[in-house]
Amino acid sequence: MEPGRLRNPVSQLRKGTLEYCVLALLQDGQRYGFELVRTLSETDGLLVSEGTIYPLLSRLRRDELVSTSWQESEAGPPRRYYQLTAAGKRALADFSEEWARFRDAVDALVTPQRRAGR
Amino acid sequence: MKVHTDPLVDDYLRRLDAAASTLPADQRDELVSEIRDHLEEALRQTPAGDQAAVRNELERLGSPEEIAAAAADPAPSQPAGAASQINGFAIASVLVAVLWFAGLGAVLALVFGYRARRQIKDSADGQPGSGLATAGIILGWIGIAIVVTVVILISLHPNKSH
Repeated sequence: MEPGRLRNPVSQLRKGTLEYCVLALLQDGQRYGFELVRTLSETDGLLVSEGTIYPLLSRLRRDELVSTSWQESEAGPPRRYYQLTAAGKRALADFSEEWARFRDAVDALVTPQRRAGR
Repeated sequence: MKVHTDPLVDDYLRRLDAAASTLPADQRDELVSEIRDHLEEALRQTPAGDQAAVRNELERLGSPEEIAAAAADPAPSQPAGAASQINGFAIASVLVAVLWFAGLGAVLALVFGYRARRQIKDSADGQPGSGLATAGIILGWIGIAIVVTVVILISLHPNKSH
């Protein structure tokens, strides 16, 4: 690491928040893996490699934040659907609250016009 | 197209399997089969032999090594593992307060204690040790109070030591 520079600060942030983005995508109901992964990868600014979301999904399942079920699809083989568990909903709610505070705090510091008003 | 007939996909999945060899067998099998299903889904509408489409999908997935590394990463949700350890200054504060109760130890206990509190306050995820820091601070002040009392008592009875 170069002295005086953080290593990829934004990529660390992305990494830390990605699992909550996954949980957030599931709050309106179940989705299957491919759909979830494609939606995330097409979200501007997240810059995720699609393949790396699958290990994350598997971890969320092991942590019992999501549950999965196989369901028949109208075309092609059965799909594995992911949905939030009660613990997943709680984790998402906690994160959303923390995140709003965190985002406002960082905004207040890094946005120049807001600093002028202090 | 059926992805299991495509040599590019075959090669990709083999590399993934090899890269994921450090994972427990069930996790590795699950990962490879998820990625296979993903490609199956992504390429369902693609005519067989469309190499460009296959390459595009593989590129979107990222390299097999990258995926395996993400799977091997123990807990990306807690990147600051060290921060959950008890604050060092808080421990130091209580230690000097207890082992070296009055005198300089009390001053050090206060310095460490307040420093610990500040560090804990600054740590976003609430580092443990604030109770210890408070204990160190209280003991530190008690130590100082004792020193001050002793000094006052001695100065009030200057002849007692003779």
